[in-house]
Amino acid sequence: MSSFLDRDRSVAKPGFSRWLVPPAALAIHLSIGQVYAFSVFKNPLLALHGADGSVWSLKEVGYIFSIAIAVLGLSAAIFGAWLEKVGPRRAMVYAAICFGLGFEIASFGAANHSLVLIYLGYGVVGGIGLGLGYISPVSTLIKWFPDRPGLATGLAIMGFGGGALIGAPLGNELMTHFKAHGFANPIPATWITMGVLYFLFMLYGAFTIRVPAADWKPAGWVPSATHRALISSHNVSVQQAWKTPQFWLLWIVLCTNVTAGIGILEQAAPMIQDFFKGHVLAAAATGFVGLLSLFNMAGRFLWASVSDWLGRKVTYFIFFTIGPVLFFVMPFLGSNHANSVPLFVTVACIALTFYGGGFATIPAYLKDLFGGYNVSAIHGRLLTAWSTAGIVGPLIVNGILDHYKAAGLNRLDGYRLVLHIMVGLLCVGFVANLLVKPVDERHWLKEVPAGEPTGAAH
Amino acid sequence: MENSSRSSSPALILLAWLLVGIPLGWGVYRSGLNAVKLFQPATAPATTPAAAPAK
Repeated sequence: MSSFLDRDRSVAKPGFSRWLVPPAALAIHLSIGQVYAFSVFKNPLLALHGADGSVWSLKEVGYIFSIAIAVLGLSAAIFGAWLEKVGPRRAMVYAAICFGLGFEIASFGAANHSLVLIYLGYGVVGGIGLGLGYISPVSTLIKWFPDRPGLATGLAIMGFGGGALIGAPLGNELMTHFKAHGFANPIPATWITMGVLYFLFMLYGAFTIRVPAADWKPAGWVPSATHRALISSHNVSVQQAWKTPQFWLLWIVLCTNVTAGIGILEQAAPMIQDFFKGHVLAAAATGFVGLLSLFNMAGRFLWASVSDWLGRKVTYFIFFTIGPVLFFVMPFLGSNHANSVPLFVTVACIALTFYGGGFATIPAYLKDLFGGYNVSAIHGRLLTAWSTAGIVGPLIVNGILDHYKAAGLNRLDGYRLVLHIMVGLLCVGFVANLLVKPVDERHWLKEVPAGEPTGAAH
Repeated sequence: MENSSRSSSPALILLAWLLVGIPLGWGVYRSGLNAVKLFQPATAPATTPAAAPAK
């Protein structure tokens, strides 16, 4: 079994179609993307009590998701270099085990009314599965698609957005099913089922994935002779990469872009209801959330693919020039100003495509600057920007809105302040992106260490 | 080594994409149904729990 997981055993034989690789990556990302549908379990969990009869608060239940995302970033940063050595198949199998096992441990916690076990299961063990799964297909896809790295990684990371679209109805349907079959507490059975389903689906991805042979290249493809300053033909190791200003500039780019997106996502449903009081009710607000999810997912594929033509820097330039304008005007489209629901929804949806596009385009940006050799590991470390944004974003949004509520101030002014703070953050991202220059020659890898898999820098 | 996609069966490639495309299509369809509510007249209160958008 262990040898089957080795990198050598997953090298594609001649004639293997590279178009079999994106579905393998999608199987992983569609599974782990379930984490963003975790909110469907919030109310059922709140209805449970601790083993000692104590009531679980919204804050305590909210920690489950926060732990999972924090562990995602940490495990991606810690295990990225290991992943490059052992190859994607082993990492995907371990991700499947962790993610599936996380559900099973959490189900035991839900059955025994133990929040600690749910933290440990879904948050920690599942979170490790999230981190491993998120970065595992990235460098493999880039090596299979040196001609279209943005499209390839965009496809996979689109899957993470799509995972929420599957996870939410799946969780709801399973809970309804088990409740109808006499389960007073349907969460344990739902999580056991989801753990098994996601484990099997991720194994499908692990067994389908192949890495290209060292000297493989797409038929008829020759690297562009046109020199583009920001596309390096050299590799940079992960140990060197994070000592470069480029790494930290991209860290700021990702962090600001994600934080701004959270400014909309964190309060999407109540925000649209507050902006259009009496005109947009709760059901329509749910529709708004669904629409944002679709545009978030579409943006991941669209912008990452377009970046292959425009270049990564130009793509982020678009995000950071149009994005601030959209965030600035959004508060003025509510019923107290322009009063246009279609315009408000359109602006929010376009902004969400930038948010998704920012996630999906970053691996190709890293590959351009640092080469393909350690791109998964570098990507893993960069994902700490996501973890940071996941903490900072909700702190800004909820902190300001709570303050406005406590002080009896107009909530609409609170939204305006939040959105305009995001404009400032996007401007910071704009400057960071503008400062990105080619990596200095002294950071280039002179030669790939013996025994290490060679990664295409092209 | 030059490689082409000629040796992998098109049926196998189609099957691989269907295995991920069907659940994704189902998820998109369900979200689309939710999204339609935004454009319906504001008459009835919500009965469906809102899923968090993918961040």
